[in-house]
This record gives sequence, C-alpha cells and structure tokens, in this order.
Amino acid sequence: MKLSNQFAVVGHRLPRLDAPAKVTGSQIYGTDVMLPGMLHGKLFRSPVPHALIRRLDVRPALAIDGVRAVITAADIPGTRYGPAVKDMPVLATDRVRYVGEPLTAVAAVTAEIAERAAAAIEAEFDPLPTAFDPETALAEGAPVLHPDWAGYAALPMLARDANVASHSRIQHGDVETAFAACFKVYAHCFSTPVVHAGYTEPRAATARWEGDGALTVWTNGQLPYEVQATLADILQMPVSRIRVLVPGIGGGFGGKLRIGLEHYAALLARAAGRPVKLIATCEEELTAAHPRQASLITLRTGVSRDGTLLAKQARVVMDCGAYAGSGPGTAAVALQIVAGPYRTPNLLLDGLAVYTNKLPTGSFRATAGPMGNFAVESQMDIIADDLGIDPLELRLHNIVRDGDTGPAGEPLSAVSVEECLRKAAQAIGWDKRRPGPGRGKGIACGWWMTTGGSSGVYVKLNADGTATLGSGAVELGTGALTGACQVLAEELGLPLASVRLAPVDTDGVPYDYGAQGSRTAFSVGNAARAAAASLRQRIAAFAAERFGVAPERVSLEDGHAVAGEHRISIAEVARLIQLSSGGLIAQGTFINPPPPHDAARVMNHPLPAWTTPSFHAHAAEVSVDTETGEMTVERYVVAQDVGFAINPTGIEGQIEGGVAQGLGQALSEELVFYEGRVVNATLTDYKMPTAMDVPPIESILVECASQAGPFGAKGVGEPPCIEPLATIANAVAAATGVRIFSAPLTPEKVLRAIAQSEFPLG
Amino acid sequence: MNKLPLLLRINGEMHDVLVEQYWSLLHVLRDVLGLTGTKENCLEAECGVCTVLLDGKAVNSCILLAVQCRGRDILTVEGLGRPGNLHKLQQAFIDYGAAQCGYCTPGMLLVAKSWLDEHPGVVPEPDAVREAIAGTLCRCTGYQKIVDAICSAAARVQEPG
Repeated sequence: MKLSNQFAVVGHRLPRLDAPAKVTGSQIYGTDVMLPGMLHGKLFRSPVPHALIRRLDVRPALAIDGVRAVITAADIPGTRYGPAVKDMPVLATDRVRYVGEPLTAVAAVTAEIAERAAAAIEAEFDPLPTAFDPETALAEGAPVLHPDWAGYAALPMLARDANVASHSRIQHGDVETAFAACFKVYAHCFSTPVVHAGYTEPRAATARWEGDGALTVWTNGQLPYEVQATLADILQMPVSRIRVLVPGIGGGFGGKLRIGLEHYAALLARAAGRPVKLIATCEEELTAAHPRQASLITLRTGVSRDGTLLAKQARVVMDCGAYAGSGPGTAAVALQIVAGPYRTPNLLLDGLAVYTNKLPTGSFRATAGPMGNFAVESQMDIIADDLGIDPLELRLHNIVRDGDTGPAGEPLSAVSVEECLRKAAQAIGWDKRRPGPGRGKGIACGWWMTTGGSSGVYVKLNADGTATLGSGAVELGTGALTGACQVLAEELGLPLASVRLAPVDTDGVPYDYGAQGSRTAFSVGNAARAAAASLRQRIAAFAAERFGVAPERVSLEDGHAVAGEHRISIAEVARLIQLSSGGLIAQGTFINPPPPHDAARVMNHPLPAWTTPSFHAHAAEVSVDTETGEMTVERYVVAQDVGFAINPTGIEGQIEGGVAQGLGQALSEELVFYEGRVVNATLTDYKMPTAMDVPPIESILVECASQAGPFGAKGVGEPPCIEPLATIANAVAAATGVRIFSAPLTPEKVLRAIAQSEFPLG
Repeated sequence: MNKLPLLLRINGEMHDVLVEQYWSLLHVLRDVLGLTGTKENCLEAECGVCTVLLDGKAVNSCILLAVQCRGRDILTVEGLGRPGNLHKLQQAFIDYGAAQCGYCTPGMLLVAKSWLDEHPGVVPEPDAVREAIAGTLCRCTGYQKIVDAICSAAARVQEPG
C-alpha cells in the first residue's frame, strides 16, 4: 500500500483524538446524560398493525405514584414531520399504521415506574385492512395507508401517489428496441430483508426547558441541526430557541440520522416541568427504530454475444414501512447503484418507495447500496457463467472509465474500477476461482457518492498555539473528525496533538449537513482547509508587520511563523492578537457542487448526479459444507479507492467494520415479521456477527486522487458495506453451483438450493 | 419499598449504597454511583457492553443483582487505568485504532483483561482472542483491530503503575 508520507500529518497512522477518553470510560455518550431533577420517559406503543383508535384511556397511568406527566396526541401540536414527506405524527392521532407506533408518552420519577405506567394505559382499536408487503400495497383496491397523503408537505421533486411515497426514474436510449436486438436478455428478481444498523448505544434523548422558555436537548443523533429544525417544526418554535448538544455517540451508521426520541423528551419535559430522559430499549430498537428498507429488485439486462451490456431495465421497490422516512431517497439512489459502474447505452430504471403496515425505515450505511449491488453483481456473474466468460473479464469489459458519463449523463473522472478489480482479484488469487470441492471465490465491484451538502467550521487559535475546530458534524465513531483535524493540523503546520474538537452545541458550532453519506472528513476537512488559509493569512500579516517584511515572505513551520532570520511562535502570535484584537478565529466553508447532468434523463430524483464518486471491488473465498449448508468466509479482500488516505488506520477500520456489517447482511441478519410484527426483537435472535464470525479482512487502499477532496480524498465510510452481499453470493455460487436470490444467504436456503439443483458442483 | 443497605467494593474504593434487591449492578454503577464508564444497551446479557470484572471474572453487570456483589471485588473501566497510568490493554487499543465509537470498548477491555489474567504469559493466537471476546458485540471495527490490540498487549509487559 502506498503511504502518502510527503506530508507531516495527513497520510499518517495517527491515533484518533478521542481514543484516550474512550479507553478510560470518560467519554460521555447520549445515554450517560444525567440532569438534576430528571424524570424518565417511556412510550406506550400500538399492539396492532393497522387500526382506528376507538378508545385511549391514560387514567390508569396517571393513578400510579411517581408518574409526573402523560401526553397523547390531544395534548400536543398536530404537526407531521419527515425528511422527504411530512407524513409522521408525533403520537398517533386517529389511527395506527404499524405495531410499535407511539400512542402516548409517560414521564415518571424512575424508568421502571414510567414503564409500569405505560403498560397500564388502556386502548381499544377497530382493525383496518392491512398491507404488509409492497406488492399488496401496490395492488388494485389495496388499503390506502395515508388517506390524506395528497395534503402532506413533501420535497418538491417527489412523484407520489397514494401508497407510493415516491417514484424516481432514470432513462436514456430505448431499452425495448435494444432488448429486441440483444443476443440474450436476462431477467432476475432479488430480495433483501429489513436490517437494523445495530449501533451498540441505543438512541437516547434528554430535554430541559430553560427559565426563558428556550429548550435544551442532549441527543446521540447524527444531525444536530436537523434535530433542531425538526423540533422547531414539531414544537412550532424558532430554531434559535432550541439548543441541541451531542456528547459522544455510540455508533450511528445512518440509523441515528432522523429524530428519534428528542421530541418525546421535549414534550414530556414541558408537560412535567422537569427534565426528561428517554433511552430506547433493545426491543424498541428492533421494532420501532429506523432500519434499512426491505427491497425487491427486478433486473432485465441485455447483452451482445461478447458480453457487452446493451440495455438494462430495473424496477426497484423499497418497502419504506408505515412512513416514508428515508425511503424516497433510498429508492432513488438505488437507480445509480443498479446502473452500476458500467457503460450501458440504454437504461430504464424505476425506483419506488412504498408504504406498508410495518415499522418505518430510515437509512443504514450506503442506503440502497447493498440491495442494488446484490442484484447487479449477482446478475453479472450469472451472465458471465451463461456466456462462458470469466466474471472478472465480463466486468473489465463493461466498466466505466475516465471520460465516460454516469447514468444521468454526468462526466466521470478519477475512475478507478479497473485498478480496484485487478487488485482485489490478484489478492484473492482469482486464477483459482474454484480451489476445491465446496470452495469458491466471488468478486463484486461498485461505486458510491461522496455526499454533498454544506459544511461550516470555525477554527480558533488558542493562546498556547493550539487550534480548536468547531463543527456541526459529530463524531459517530468513524474517526472522520480526527481526519478533518489532521487536515487542519497539516495546513497550520501543527502536530495533530495541537488540535482539538469543540463540543457539539448548536449555540456554538456552525451548521454542517452532518455526519452522513461518507462526507464528513471530506467536507469538514475542506472547510477546515479554508479556515486555515484565512488564519495563515492573518498570522502572516501580523508576523510580517512585526518582522518588517512583506507578508508573502512569511511561512508557517513547526508551530512558528518564519521569514528568513525572523521567527515567532504561533502561540505568541495568538496571545498577542488576543490582547490586541480579540483573538484569532476564522470561519471556513465548503460545498461540493454536483456535476452537470442531462436533466432529460432523470425524473423525480433528489440526487440525480453523484458528487465525487468512489469505486471499489471486493473479493472473497468461501467454503460451504454441502451437508449442512453452513458457509465459512475463509478470506476477504477489499480494494477501495479512497482518493487519498488521510489516516490509513482509520480507513482500514472503516473497511473492516463495514465489511463485517455487510457480512451480517449477507449471512445472518434479518428482521423477521409475522403479520407486521417483528418476531425476533432480541440480539440473540437478530444475529449480528461476533468476533468469531468475521474473518480477517485485507484492505488495499487505492489512491486515485479526486479533484474536490482534501489532498485528493474521496468518501470512505459507507462503501465497505455495499459489496459484501453480492461478493458472498457470488462466492457461494462458485463453491456450490447454486445461486441464492434473497438475502440473507442462510444455510437453509443454500441447502435447499443445492437439493433442488440438478448438477450441484459441491 | 424497603431498600437494603449495601457496601460495595468498586475499583478498590468502598461505596455505601441503598438498593432495591432487584436492582442490577449496572443500574447501581451508572444511575446510583454515576460510574457511567460501564455502558448499557440490551439489558439481557446479549451484547456485552456492560461487562465488568467480579473477583477478576468477566460478568454482564446488567443481569447481575447488586446484592450479589456484597463483599466482592468489582473492577470497572474507571479502575483499569487512568491517563498517565494506562493499562497496557488501554494503550494497545489507542495504538491499534481498536476503539471507534468506543461504546463497546469498556466491556471489551475488561473481557480481554480477564482473559489475559487467566492466561498469564501466553501470547494468544488471534482465534483464541476472537473466542474470548465473542460475547461482546462491536458494530464498528469488524473486531480485527481489537484482536490485534489484545494480542499485542499480551506480549507487552505492564508498566508498573
């Protein structure tokens, strides 16, 4: 691996800034927040999937000693909220749409009293017809989950229709004509289940109303400014009256993007006149959080005799559950994923987010990535095998290259799929694809965006010569902000140890689009660069005046401003400027504009052209016990283009963790439903990989520099989670000769497929 | 309710507390004593983030009654090592990038410590470490850097505190 070591701080394997706090237990997380006089909140949730509320009686709860407040929809503003469609009530009003929908909230002096009180609430329902899966919800005469859907506020570009929360399309060429001229057309259907992000810290929120009527909220949510804006909407207050603080976060992976418990804490605290804290239970996490959508993807691909892709048609259906959540964006982004990093002259791709009577969904690391990639990359292998072409060769024959355009007609640059594929193939030993009975290797490639959105930072130069970075992006655990601090340190000529992060507090740190979408180190890093440039100028001007030289002659080296013989420490500059003019604080901002695209190709799509895409390839060797269907991942290799590795250790950590999550989705993770109810809502039954399930993961960092990223970096965090599902499916197919079309690939499915296969190779 | 007086020895210090007999050790540590370094998640001994050492053995404090700990030695992450005097496992976790979000880290550290203490002088094979920590879920790291850190710590001599 190339080590980018011409720099002093970036490109180096430096320990993350928060590591000492985390290994000593002194890091404070959302679940740790405690306030004087604090009460504990619990929610009473719907036991039925779709019904009108006939009776709701909270008096039994109020009669319990220690209960301080009980609220229902009648006690609060009737605002609906949601990131794409404002369809979700805070508490159910006239009807419930999923098992687990909050009906009332209770605050009491202890969590156990609150729980007892919530359980004492009485409710009766009149059942409504249900739609538990998208096909039912899309059928003629299906129950409409949101009779008032047309009146909901929504993102203006969304196309909605009753149970269809959004319908996006990417189209160019003419697929039907192209299919008619193809040597072969392949059609397959793939499905994936609802999976949970599985962060180890449950969602938690604590709220306190201040004497002046302002609200303070402590949350472990990923987007403090979105929490603030959503609360302002729900509570009908100006944003400036809501202060959001984020202490540590015990993982998010997208599952903590959307508001979760903050509004209940705020409303209960207002009703009780005391601070209120809520922590989601494990059962609530698995039955009523914001997991990844289940998907159903139908893919038709037409090829010439030599395997050239000529046309692709896809219908992607995302089951967004009872409320749209992140479903519209996920269904739309799926279209770029199913197009894949391939040249395809004719495309017709439709993405639908569909309401069902299941728990609402959100975002989970690379939203539509694993689902779409599973479909495309499984089908690429099917096509290769059918045409008698090596799967690697089929990919190399069709991948996009520099100067090609993406599905929306956007120009592509810094394209590195070939390098990723070749490096992954070489590392796994692709020339021996079926090394023995029951053993096989799989490969898959893909692409992903470095999400845009604006970042603001301030950088304060302290009187001891250190710098403080203030950002509204939060440290989820990825280490992205250590990366941003490395960029800042590099630019200021300081060691990393001289940079620290300001606490996240919307009253004190600038806006940031947030820790999401593989953008944090990239975007905050660039904003920090801009702030550093401004600071350098001001330091140089100050030093130049003192030295009696021109500012251009002053450079920053080892914590000093230097010009020839002249030398002054940055600490001294900071101290003197503090005395003379209130100190040195600089603002920096950054936004990565999307590339130009052909608007005629893209309909009703919130992200028509991806900013700074990254490319990657995964390869695995799997052994399958053909007696039991049990699969063991023997080796796993990732070649990922990171543009520039700001911190190789941190990036490897992202790759290893993302692959582990991807392997969970490939092999064991699934929320299982019976009539809309999650039946495996414990961590014993919802099977996330343990240390014994994850093989050592070999990371190859490809550095194909981007134009826009700091030092050429590209987004890193989400991609590792995209390809594992397809990679494992392809490896299992190579090992056994059977193809599994639905995730997870359980031993049962593999065994059944082997039994049904006429010519098992194992 | 009639709370019971209980004397707990935690990180070498005595704590006099009044507890309900059904309270878990985790609840007493976090919510009564404010020792929040021990984390809470599933509360049913499935995730392992609440692991502490009881007489040197790793236990899930979420399903251990506080009253069962009378007269026994409890070690939490706060007692493992402090800045300037870190336990070798803590230093290795920093050096290897073994903590990401850090929420499982206290539990991982204590599980690892109990394993190292039970196998003095052994530099473990990675698979033995994977088995030792299999009861603690980590969703960030894929476990690799945790395994590397524990193997490396096993080979290090603990600096005298």
